[in-house]
Amino acid sequence: MSLIKELFGKSPFGPLVEHTKKVHECVKLVRPLMEALAREDREEIHRLQDEVSKLEYEADRIKHEIREQLPRRYFLPVDREELEDFLHCQDQIADSAEDFAVILIIRETKIHPLLKEDFFGFVDQVVHVSNMLAEAAVELQNLAETAFGGAEAKSVLERIGGLGEEEWKADRMQRRLCQKIYHLEDELDPTTILFYDKMIEALSQIANAAENTGDLLRSMILKG
Amino acid sequence: MEPVTIIVALTGLLGLYMAWNIGANDVANSMGCAVGSRSISIKWAVIAAGICEFAGAVLVGAHVTDTVRKGIVDPQAVAALPGLPEGGAAALFLLGMAAALLAAAVWLNLATWMGMPVSTTHSIVGAVAGFGVVAAGWSAVHWGKMGQIVASWFLSPIAGGILGFVIFRIISRLILGREKPVRAAIRVTPYIVFSMTVVVTLAIVYKGLRHLIAERAEWLTGNHAFLLAGAVGLLAGLVSRILIRRALRHKSGLPLGEQLDVVERVFAPLVVVGSCTVAFSHGANDVANAIGPLAAILDICSTCSIKMQVYVPPWVLALGGCGIVVGLATYGYRVMDTVGQKITQITPSRGVAACIAATTTVLVCTRMKLPVSTTHTLVGAILGIGLARGLAAVNRRVTRNIFGSWLITVPAAGVLAVVFFLVGKIFLFDIVREAIS
Repeated sequence: MSLIKELFGKSPFGPLVEHTKKVHECVKLVRPLMEALAREDREEIHRLQDEVSKLEYEADRIKHEIREQLPRRYFLPVDREELEDFLHCQDQIADSAEDFAVILIIRETKIHPLLKEDFFGFVDQVVHVSNMLAEAAVELQNLAETAFGGAEAKSVLERIGGLGEEEWKADRMQRRLCQKIYHLEDELDPTTILFYDKMIEALSQIANAAENTGDLLRSMILKG
Repeated sequence: MEPVTIIVALTGLLGLYMAWNIGANDVANSMGCAVGSRSISIKWAVIAAGICEFAGAVLVGAHVTDTVRKGIVDPQAVAALPGLPEGGAAALFLLGMAAALLAAAVWLNLATWMGMPVSTTHSIVGAVAGFGVVAAGWSAVHWGKMGQIVASWFLSPIAGGILGFVIFRIISRLILGREKPVRAAIRVTPYIVFSMTVVVTLAIVYKGLRHLIAERAEWLTGNHAFLLAGAVGLLAGLVSRILIRRALRHKSGLPLGEQLDVVERVFAPLVVVGSCTVAFSHGANDVANAIGPLAAILDICSTCSIKMQVYVPPWVLALGGCGIVVGLATYGYRVMDTVGQKITQITPSRGVAACIAATTTVLVCTRMKLPVSTTHTLVGAILGIGLARGLAAVNRRVTRNIFGSWLITVPAAGVLAVVFFLVGKIFLFDIVREAIS
């Protein structure tokens, strides 16, 4: 009787945790990139950009594998659309981290000394937002084990709950940083300002994507 | 050699062949939860399944066997046929039962060869009903009983699903979902053990052991049976509490993920016991598919009539049990290996819920004398757990198979039985009649 054999499909939650970890590794390289930029260490920037791109590619591969292994005929404990949106959104975190790295290598941009502190503060906050999300998302397998309920779900939801506020703080830092840049606009050439803008945009996308991913994670837990 | 002996030997072999098939194909599903969750090796799964299937067949197998041998086709309707010579009714019934057995066996092979999943229960019920209609007309079949049986084929997976949903919800709410699952496991698991034990014990003793210990079972009336089951359950619960406490000592300080792992490991022996109860209930319900017609034939041969007042003799059940065990040992272990590799998504906690749900449903149906498919019930239970968000990916299409598979098997086996019966009636009627008188 082959009925029981056909009954089960592969769990996507293990690979989802893998994806989260890969994306997290990408984001871990953002601060080293900033530090290398501040030191004007071009070699290190290139090396780090290589690594980020490789990790982003591996995250993409995991994403495709997960998609392939979820045909329509399988019934999941979470909403399928939300799972796919979550995956897409989390992938964007890695994409934005890679964008940041690429921006750093296409032009030798120097950080104005008066802006260094604010830039590092912004980077740290953005990475903090992404870490918060990662710490919640790696719990997906435990969540599956506890059927998305009980103490585990409550604790994960609490962790995601703080994401909104932290992302808002990142937004505020971004605004202050931009204000400072324009205060110094006479000391900076327009192309440099353009690149600062690109860098800030990529960084803020990391935090945005992390917050959106957190929202989708909450939906997956609560509905399903 | 006397003709009667030949008849008995031939039909006995057929019955054994059916039993072998049941052991080879079906038993793998019974132990699926334990093997899939890696709680037991294949070797020990085969041994445990063998013991439990045999025990189920002998201790509780008489009820459904009774249905197959005289609950579907009314022997009196055959006896009341006009124009039959001396012993003719008995001969007809015998031929019909033999034809049904042969038809079920042939259909089993045919369907397997065509790659279709097939239920031995559906086959034998369809075959017996088929010969009944042709032998003595439409009214020879207890259509009320048939209706109950077909209804149970729908209701058993649904009941399994509801029970699986509820039991898993209890496990996930009361144990897995707690802040300290280890502590919750120590508190709650003994109750689970208690319930499992009560269900199985009650299924055995509630007005049930008469065929084994007829006279001495007088004290085993309704209330005493409940008390006995309760006592055995209490004992099992207390023992499990001691063992679980010892296993989980000092573990409630671990981080949540590790606590969940530890709790799953404690559930591993539980799912093994649970799978054993599924195997037990499977033996109790399915041995009838092999032995039911044989029991009728033996009764006819020994009494030359079709009254069938006596209980099904235990040695017939034991014979069926042996056939199942042999089938399991010679071929079933391979199927078990294949099945086990494909259902690794079942963790012990899910397995326990599925096993309790399936066992309870099948044993209740068995005591109600209804032949059901253990596999379908188990699938229903697993689907119920999936609905409770307990499983990562469950194939929806399987539901179609559960509810539609009997639509093909019942008519197919019925038609085959009709053909074999008519052939037998033409060529063998007088031979059989002389042999049994």
